[in-house]
Amino acid sequence: MIQKKLCMVGSFGVGKTSLVKRYVQSIFSEKYHTTVGVKIDKKDVIVGPETIRMMIWDLAGDDAFARLRTTFVRGSAGYLLVADGTRTQTLDVALELNRQIQDATGKLPFVLVVNKFDLASAWEIDTNRITALEEAGVKVFRTSAKDGFGVESVFEHFAVLETLERAS
Amino acid sequence: MSAVAAISDASADGRSVTPCKDRDASQLIDLFDAMNQAVLERAPNGSFLFKNTPAEWFRILSKEAEITDGRIELEGHSSYLDHFLSDATQWWSEGGAGWLHSGTWLEADAVGKDWPFAARAISRHGNAMLIIECVAEDYEAQVQLLQAAREHLLNEELLEREVHRRTAAIRQREEEIAIRLLAAAGMRDEETGSHVRRIGLFSATLAEALGWDAARTADIRVAAPMHDIGKIGIPDAVLLKPGRLTQDEFAIMKQHTVIGAKMLGDSDIPLLVMSREIALGHHERWDGSGYPQGLRGEEIPLTARIVALVDVYDAMLHRRVYKAPIAEAEVIATMTAASGAHFDPALFKVFLRILPALRRITASVQE
Repeated sequence: MIQKKLCMVGSFGVGKTSLVKRYVQSIFSEKYHTTVGVKIDKKDVIVGPETIRMMIWDLAGDDAFARLRTTFVRGSAGYLLVADGTRTQTLDVALELNRQIQDATGKLPFVLVVNKFDLASAWEIDTNRITALEEAGVKVFRTSAKDGFGVESVFEHFAVLETLERAS
Repeated sequence: MSAVAAISDASADGRSVTPCKDRDASQLIDLFDAMNQAVLERAPNGSFLFKNTPAEWFRILSKEAEITDGRIELEGHSSYLDHFLSDATQWWSEGGAGWLHSGTWLEADAVGKDWPFAARAISRHGNAMLIIECVAEDYEAQVQLLQAAREHLLNEELLEREVHRRTAAIRQREEEIAIRLLAAAGMRDEETGSHVRRIGLFSATLAEALGWDAARTADIRVAAPMHDIGKIGIPDAVLLKPGRLTQDEFAIMKQHTVIGAKMLGDSDIPLLVMSREIALGHHERWDGSGYPQGLRGEEIPLTARIVALVDVYDAMLHRRVYKAPIAEAEVIATMTAASGAHFDPALFKVFLRILPALRRITASVQE
């Protein structure tokens, strides 16, 4: 079985752990539980004739108390930059982390995940910024860990990338 | 076989050694046991030799790996540990000083409970040592501390957003009131609501390009539309006269700047202070030929210089009862000729740079 490592990266409280829980266990909790350290979850995804084991590294949220160790991303098939649509600065943090990761590991596949789409009416991230990123070639997913919207698509994107890579 | 026994029987490279008789070494092993740490030495073949008794929790990490003669193959059981051992192997080979810390990670046991671990790689006398701890107590304390700190930060962010939301709502109300007052004033002449809205948006865009902070930029968006509010005090015979004004009539018309300033004066509210400055100064010219005070250059407040520019731009572009709309290329050519005489030349350069943004505003705010 092919194993692929994916990293969840982003500011604290954006819903990284919730996205993983929704994807792997199909559960969601309203209560915020901070992540300390690294938690690795796995899920097998069948894409065509292949089964891919996604090893999902849930990294602690980046803030003044804990800085992202970019070495964690080494060996990844890609990473998810997660932002919270209701908090503008989380997009800034995500883009800054992206810069740090690219400086440390070179270019790896990544997607921008703007989470909390269930609160879309309260989103504060300027849609023009998201559109500009999409126009610049960044793959953007809008998700809700709460109701599951878009969550499968994000992870399957990487599974499909993997099979495409193998096919080529 | 216990790890202590293993130490007695073998070294990491597999050679037989003299049984450990040293009391200090034995005490050291007891100490590691008491500290709930697993101490391992890496053998040249990549396996690890326990230097003390592995605690029960070690099974959560090593899963089904067998411990034979105090030796274990650590790789392949924990993705995180594998990742760390890869870093540690390089670090050992470089003979790193001090230690290399893994950071904390979580492993789930058979029933799905998460256990926190941390590891350190140390080089001692050429030996590659690995110390692994189950950091449950420290971890709980750290989680509680961070949980409280991050919840506090999230609450602060929430409050800040609420303040911003309410401030924006107040601004919107202020703008709405100003626009409605202007609309009432504008009932008497040809000025339209969309013209004054565009003047506000143009001015704010120019202010943003000049690097103004958000509060001042928001102020000029509301203040700029009030530039002609003094026209409310100009008699109909002059304000609504279709033909050219006589010299006396023009003198009366010029008074709209002073009337506007009086209407908006005597306030210490920043928005009204700015509005007064604009109402009074928006017909001043860079070369001193404007009115009502004949100010020159930077004597004219920047707010008034901004509005002077965008007011002319918008007025020329759009239809008035006395003139047809003028094509933008012609407007820009005329204004370029007037830069340095009518307009602040440095400001005019910024204005030219943001023309695409102004065009978008024009397209979105129509009659």
